[in-house]
Amino acid sequence: MSSEEIIDPTAQNEVGMRKALFHLALPFGLTILAVGAIAWVGLSSYRTTREGVTRLTQQLVEAVQSYIVQEVGDYILPAAAGNQIASGMIEHAPVQVQDKVFYSYAGTMLRKIPQLQSFYLGGEDGSLRLVTRSSDPDLLDHEVLIVKNGHEYFHHELYNLKGQKVSEHDEDAGTYNLHTRPWFTSTKGSSEIKWTQPYLFADSKQFVMTSSLRFKGADGNELVFATNISLNELSSYLDHIKIGQTGSAMIVDSQGRIMAGRNLDQKARAAHWNPDNMRIDPKDEPVFALGYDHYRVQGFGVHSVTWNGRRYIVMASALPRYSQGWVLLIAVPEKDMASFAQQSSRQSLQFAGIIIVFSALLGGLFIRQVRRTDRGVRALQQQEQQVEQESAAARQVAVSPGLFDPTIEPLVLTEQLALVTDCRRASLWRFLHDGAAMVCEDSYDHQQDTHTGGFEMGRAELNSFFSAIDEGTSFTVINAAADERTSRFERLVMREIGTTMLAVFPVHGPRGIAGMVALENPRVLEHQQYFVDIVSAVAGMRFAAMGGGEKDPSQHGNPLITQASRTLPPLLTDNMLMHTAGMGGLTGANVYNAVAVLIISFSDPEVEGAQETEALISLIDQLATHVQSIALEQQLFAVEVAGHRMICMAGCGKEEDPTALSRLADAALKMRETFMGALAAVDLEPVFTMGMDYGPAFGGLVGQAPQVFNLWGQTVSLAELMAEGASDPGVIQVTERVYATLRDRYLFRSRGTFFTPHLGLGRAYTLAASR
Amino acid sequence: MDTYTAGPLLELNKAVPSFEESGLPPRPMSLRLMAGDCVVVEERAPQRATMFADLCSGLVPLDAGQVSFMGLDWADMKDRQLNALRGRIGRIGKRPSWPGFVPMHLAIMLQQLHHTTRTQDDLLAEAARLAASFGLPGLPTQAPDRMSDADLCRAACVRAFLGRPHLLLLEDPLEGGPPELANPFLEALTEARDRGAGIIWLVRNAAVWQRYRMGVTATWRLADDGLAAVRMG
Repeated sequence: MSSEEIIDPTAQNEVGMRKALFHLALPFGLTILAVGAIAWVGLSSYRTTREGVTRLTQQLVEAVQSYIVQEVGDYILPAAAGNQIASGMIEHAPVQVQDKVFYSYAGTMLRKIPQLQSFYLGGEDGSLRLVTRSSDPDLLDHEVLIVKNGHEYFHHELYNLKGQKVSEHDEDAGTYNLHTRPWFTSTKGSSEIKWTQPYLFADSKQFVMTSSLRFKGADGNELVFATNISLNELSSYLDHIKIGQTGSAMIVDSQGRIMAGRNLDQKARAAHWNPDNMRIDPKDEPVFALGYDHYRVQGFGVHSVTWNGRRYIVMASALPRYSQGWVLLIAVPEKDMASFAQQSSRQSLQFAGIIIVFSALLGGLFIRQVRRTDRGVRALQQQEQQVEQESAAARQVAVSPGLFDPTIEPLVLTEQLALVTDCRRASLWRFLHDGAAMVCEDSYDHQQDTHTGGFEMGRAELNSFFSAIDEGTSFTVINAAADERTSRFERLVMREIGTTMLAVFPVHGPRGIAGMVALENPRVLEHQQYFVDIVSAVAGMRFAAMGGGEKDPSQHGNPLITQASRTLPPLLTDNMLMHTAGMGGLTGANVYNAVAVLIISFSDPEVEGAQETEALISLIDQLATHVQSIALEQQLFAVEVAGHRMICMAGCGKEEDPTALSRLADAALKMRETFMGALAAVDLEPVFTMGMDYGPAFGGLVGQAPQVFNLWGQTVSLAELMAEGASDPGVIQVTERVYATLRDRYLFRSRGTFFTPHLGLGRAYTLAASR
Repeated sequence: MDTYTAGPLLELNKAVPSFEESGLPPRPMSLRLMAGDCVVVEERAPQRATMFADLCSGLVPLDAGQVSFMGLDWADMKDRQLNALRGRIGRIGKRPSWPGFVPMHLAIMLQQLHHTTRTQDDLLAEAARLAASFGLPGLPTQAPDRMSDADLCRAACVRAFLGRPHLLLLEDPLEGGPPELANPFLEALTEARDRGAGIIWLVRNAAVWQRYRMGVTATWRLADDGLAAVRMG
């Protein structure tokens, strides 16, 4: 494949595809599959665990709820059930022992059950007995409402644990009226247990509720038995109960008032000891507020709520019937219950991740190894290919006729060198005059496929380069311009084609270094050295053979030189067919701003025999004579003959000549007509083309005795290009500048727009005739 | 361009072109073109000459046999390789075939720009050199429909020889083309052969190639019964 081709048509694409499939896609696909399977298993495991955990969490919460309900029931039961027991005992007791039964029951209950605060026994007849805890925890306060001197007093008697009276005193009852007390009045007309609204005792910080039951005593007096129960203990219980890690519970009544829960004391203080103000505040208890809202909408049951990005399980459940429609709210973060499952899932995922990483790593290593193997195989193939190429090149060199004959150009050597090393240019240089100079025997441009040679370099110009070669070892310079040894060689030789890298291989001859092999921009490979050595050896033998025939050109008595100087005619250097009289006054180089140049290009004639040659010379002479006369007639500056070309010029004066171009155009038309006629007379087709341009040029007299006038510049080049690229024989092709100047006076035909790398875009016209 | 030395550059092995698709005689055709060879194929009908060039380019379906270029059978190749391989062929058609949507210089370089990584400057330099050698004052840049037939013929030569193709399928540009094109055409032909290109020169009659008869490797005539060898005088 050429290195410039984008697609190699000789590449076996199917094989490449299969190889890519097996070496890259398959391991990659398998790795992806393994990773996917592991991820799927991990995810499924996580989901299964999560579902199980959710079920388990619900069951756990339900169990906790049942437990709390039972605890709350047990907590309240002494107050509710105690009323019925006590009332039954008092109801059936004789009137004389009613007090004793009441005091005995109340004392026992207060000592045994801490949440109970006090017991009341009031009668419709206005009697009131009260047993309550005193400030001393070992003493019980028995109170009786008495009338003394027409004023009501509470008679206090304090009893210790043994039932011995410790002290007694009276306390003014003030405006106390039994018949206005809620616990008493709420039972009127009812035989059911009644609960009062909770109320707070700011001094004792007790949050208390009273349950009461009306019954008839043995004497027919209606009595009300009441029990005060403190909710502080319930709150304390709820405060200490552990639900998950951070879960909590709260009891609210049907109005949404907090009956028990954490930090009840703070809540009461914030509510100014008013129970009606103790409601769930979304700011303080956002999860409970959400749970309560869910309960109000959806009723009892387990609800899932999200607060601040965390999921909570909130359960609302009813408390026993004697609890006045209380609702137990339990809130617990989901992760408290599922944390072990999450941890397990996380571990599973971590394991899966580790396995995935290892799988990917192994897959990557496998792919890397496969690619390395591929690269190795490719390198081996390239090496084999290189060996084959070198062998083929060596065969080409070996079968080349006259390989060691110094009179035959060594083209095969440079060509094969360029082919094997893939260099831009390969050249063979031979030392002359004992190393004082070096001549290029052959230089092959691989890209242009052209051979050149014959140019010389002197040691004086490239001393360091010559010295490096003299050392006899090969060297390679990546940037020849930057290396002191090769910088001049780069400037003189390499810069012309833009090469940068130079490999030099000295050629060893029988008398030391005989020259060098130079490779410009080669592909450096180690084993190429062998082929270069073979070529160097062949070149060395050729150079040695040449050296035998080389003579010092400065030596005197060379018969060829002396004979030549004796027999050759004087050198004819004046090629001017015509020139103006003022040419002699020219000195040095001159720049002319407006020169008209006409170039007439003749095809190479085919002649056979002396007769035809004489006829042709005669014809050329005739044409030249015509040109001279026309040039004189049109007052052209000069007409120069160079091989099969004539160069006519006008306007080479110090002052610009505005008529120069039109005079030259007239001359061109006349010359064409004359040439046509002369060629037709001898039955020849037009074998000439003409090109014209008009513009700046520079020129002057060059040489010594005689001096010759010569003209250079883009105008001359363009005129020549027009002549060489004329569309048909006998055509005068002109540039855009000529057309722009003469279009009013002459007839032109456009040929089109053309591009040339050094001159750019331009239009070409055919000068047809004058108007 | 490396010379292809592994076998015939182009080989028609009992290739029977589809008559419905090409109009070529559905007869087995066999031809071997080695690198550096120049084979002249005489065919008076321009359409059939074009179809024969298409056959060599793998553009004509075969009823039997095979056509292979550089050892690769056209029929066995995928589109990607197929197109890339055609990038190694230079063609001159009897009927001008220029894309009207690009100027001439791009139309000339289009094949190389498509198939290779060569820089535009490099291509411009080579195309301009070829243009000058075929008698153009530079690389034409205007639309194809604004050029003369003679200049289109020259441009077709530039396009065919640009990029040093391995195979040149040349429907004769000399007959009916500018007479002064003969020398540069034969020079380019010889240069291409020297560097290892194979050439199939499709001509209408023997008069065209007689100047070059010493350089022609073989001569064939596309007859109704297939390719018939012509004795070279």
